[in-house]
Amino acid sequence: MLRYTLTSLLLLLAVIGHAQIGSTLSPGEQWQLLISGHAQAFAEFQYYYSTLPRVVLAVAVGAVLGLIGSLLQQMTQNKLADSMTLGITSGAWLALVCASVWAPLLLAEHGVWLAMAGGLVATALVLLISGRQGVSGLTMILAGMAVHILCGAIASAVILLNEQYTQNLFIWGAGDLSQTDWQWVEWLLPKLAMIVVILLIAHRPLTLLRLGDQGASARGLNLWPMLLLLFVLILWLLGSTIAAVGAIGFIGLIAPNVARALGARTALDELIYSMLLGALLLVLTDALAVIGSQWSHNVIPSGTTAALIGAPCLIWFALKRLRAQDHACLQLPPGAQQLSRLRVVLVAFVTLMMISVAIMLAPAYVEGDGDGDPRWQFQWPEPHILDLRWPQLLAAAVAGAGIAIAGTILQRLIRNPLASPDILGLSAGATLALILGSYYFGQSIHDLGPAIAFGGSMLILALIVVLGRRNHFAPGVIILIGISIAAFIEGIIHFTLAKGGEEVYGIISWLSGSSYHVNAHETLIVSAGIAVLACVALCTSRWMTLISSGDGMALARGLHAQHARLGLLLLSALLCALVTALLGPLAFVGLLAPHMAALLGAKKVSQQLLLAMLIGAVLMLFADWLGRTLIYPAQLPAGVVASVLGGSYFVYLLSRQRRSAI
Amino acid sequence: MKTLIMLTLILIHTTLGAQPHTIIIEDSLGQHTFQQIPQRVIALNWAVTENLIELDVTPLAMSDVDGYKTWVRQPTLPADLIDVGTRDAPNLELISQLKPDLIIAGGMQRNLLAKLRPIAPVLLFDGFNKDHNNYQAAQHIFLQKAKLFDKQALAEQKLATKHARITELKNQLATHFNHQLPKVTTIRFNNTALAWVFGDNAMPQYALEQLGITPAMPLPATQWGLMQKRITELSVIDNGIVLYFEPFAQRDKLFATPLWQAMPFVRQQRFAAIPATWTYGGPMSVLYLAEAMAEQLLTMTP
Repeated sequence: MLRYTLTSLLLLLAVIGHAQIGSTLSPGEQWQLLISGHAQAFAEFQYYYSTLPRVVLAVAVGAVLGLIGSLLQQMTQNKLADSMTLGITSGAWLALVCASVWAPLLLAEHGVWLAMAGGLVATALVLLISGRQGVSGLTMILAGMAVHILCGAIASAVILLNEQYTQNLFIWGAGDLSQTDWQWVEWLLPKLAMIVVILLIAHRPLTLLRLGDQGASARGLNLWPMLLLLFVLILWLLGSTIAAVGAIGFIGLIAPNVARALGARTALDELIYSMLLGALLLVLTDALAVIGSQWSHNVIPSGTTAALIGAPCLIWFALKRLRAQDHACLQLPPGAQQLSRLRVVLVAFVTLMMISVAIMLAPAYVEGDGDGDPRWQFQWPEPHILDLRWPQLLAAAVAGAGIAIAGTILQRLIRNPLASPDILGLSAGATLALILGSYYFGQSIHDLGPAIAFGGSMLILALIVVLGRRNHFAPGVIILIGISIAAFIEGIIHFTLAKGGEEVYGIISWLSGSSYHVNAHETLIVSAGIAVLACVALCTSRWMTLISSGDGMALARGLHAQHARLGLLLLSALLCALVTALLGPLAFVGLLAPHMAALLGAKKVSQQLLLAMLIGAVLMLFADWLGRTLIYPAQLPAGVVASVLGGSYFVYLLSRQRRSAI
Repeated sequence: MKTLIMLTLILIHTTLGAQPHTIIIEDSLGQHTFQQIPQRVIALNWAVTENLIELDVTPLAMSDVDGYKTWVRQPTLPADLIDVGTRDAPNLELISQLKPDLIIAGGMQRNLLAKLRPIAPVLLFDGFNKDHNNYQAAQHIFLQKAKLFDKQALAEQKLATKHARITELKNQLATHFNHQLPKVTTIRFNNTALAWVFGDNAMPQYALEQLGITPAMPLPATQWGLMQKRITELSVIDNGIVLYFEPFAQRDKLFATPLWQAMPFVRQQRFAAIPATWTYGGPMSVLYLAEAMAEQLLTMTP
């Protein structure tokens, strides 16, 4: 119990310390005010109605996040599960973004329900993708990140098209605890009564889960109804905190890990101790946010400091404790046994069709046309239109092909079909380099060019290689490092977005992966680079075959698996960096193209590489074409369209497979 | 002989006079010469559209028509404008098909220059910048456009009317407040905890300045002139007026709190709402701002 006493004492000290920041009142006056509850001067009002509710809320929200993190981690037997890594938070964020554009009054009145509904849909998607077996492994985190990316992409599209409406949302996305009254505390605290229910009912099923799912069923218990009830309670708590203070990450991820490291053994012990630690962590990081805001002219959101401190902790944990990650991997529908000639012809036909549609079919304005509405035309474009169109098309196609190769390599390497190049954190590195660059040079991020983006990706790659070396580039660790770095950088991006100003829309439009801003010269250079790397990838296809069949087999054939793995990782990362530099972050294409190739029957590595390349290019051409024509004359970025298309197809694929499994 | 020379001179003179004279326009990129008044103009930015319509010039096309109608509102748009898509990524193919003879862009669209120039001559007016006086820049931009479209007389007349109207309001305010004008700051609420505060280089502040009013919460100049602050920080305004721009969905929630009620300017009832007004426009929008603010200030007890 020494552990509890010490932590409680620390929490008490932190709370008292936090309440001193920014208050001009002496401790004596504060005490007087606390007893009487009657404020007179403004400083007293500020202390009583702003400082105090903020601390109380920090304790409450921190405790809830710690509890949710611990519950999710125990339920999934996955040390990295959290509302953030499972995509629940981004589902809620997407719901609120949509509401702020189309139903602002609904948002003001019923924000909680919207956030809960969004979170619920996202959770359902993640569970659908990862399935019962995948819950405990890396698969669930990968599924969570996929949903996170999908929701983020849709939210970006909505923001881009309705920029003026969404300005006030960014602070919410960043998560901030500023208060001007007790009303949020009064609103939130009764809802937290569910914590008691959870503590009462969760102990038994969680303890049984530790014995493993089979162990529990062997005792004649079906755990699923109980787990479902717990999930609903989690969503209720999470929806309430998100509606109250926005999306604060990392606390729920770190608190349970620290709790276990400090010796929390039983299920109940971990739950309660995680709550205590979560409260302590949030009070401390929020105090930093308050100090930071006083020191600079800008409001620093609480979520930003939580991310800046949380991400390095997560990386540390990833390196220390997660040496052997399971490889229980998800099976996609097996598809055809081999690549028939008919299929090859079919793919070639679709490719040609797509190319001609992309070049020739578009709405156009015709001078002197009575109603002035645009008219669809299918014709070879006039030179001045072609000059505008071809760099865009080439960039989209090349990017699709490049990211598809990167994805194929990564999936073969990690032996997990959910691995997608965008989770390596390279695109996040590129984004960070561009944001810092635009501060430093005072330019819009579109003017900075691909070189800086590429440099940012390379720095992250170097970091991953340095950090991953200790674990012999174990794929699980590499992914965790990538995710942590991406989340860290996301914290910085959220701060920049919340700060407001012109650069916000530059950043959002970059994040959405648009071919709009490419120029002919850069496109040609990057295309050449990707072509060279594609050839290298084809040459190394033997390595991938050998690695897929296990390290021992590889060594027997004279291939040093570790060196080969590093080489392939570098190749995949280089491709990803080039694509990101040209178009911005691209999600799902790198995940899906290799699968579709396998579904069509490409089993050999070289076949899969070539076919995935074609499919990636066609997917991106299609996304780009849809983006240009769907809401003409306005345009959607190809990256966003590709994410939505790819994400939906992905969910469809998995749900169909699950149904056939039943 | 002498008559012949005279006649020749007159003839030469008239031929030269019939020649269109060169118009020199200065934008954020430098000087541009025009031989004739552009007829097919595309405005890529709401501030540009607003300026042109104030000058009785109807552009051929503009970006984000619906957004303009929601956020800018005055002056109202003519019916038959073609929409070329969002301000962030206007549809280049459509712009090219419209065969414009001039494209006018804003500072936000600097990164599109390389793509726009092959289509038509481009003027770029960087109206909002941390390093210049946004109001003076807006006035300069307005006059440059007037020069280009041969509307100088109209522009001067509009500016004079604006000046006269603001002077009139200024006098009314001075009389109303017995020549001791209060300090005023304008804000836009973000949520119940945060607000954007307009400071140096913001259009509402320039409007107040022209009314003879100084800021109640001085803030350093930024690009658009606004900064996000926690609402508690507004308490430094202990002897001034705060005006906020509508709409604010969580109004009732915030205004009922004891902390808000304890704010010095709320206690002294020196707080009022301004109907939604565009705060990033040209010189004429400053008049609309001044009118909207003066109307509220004149209802306050001195």
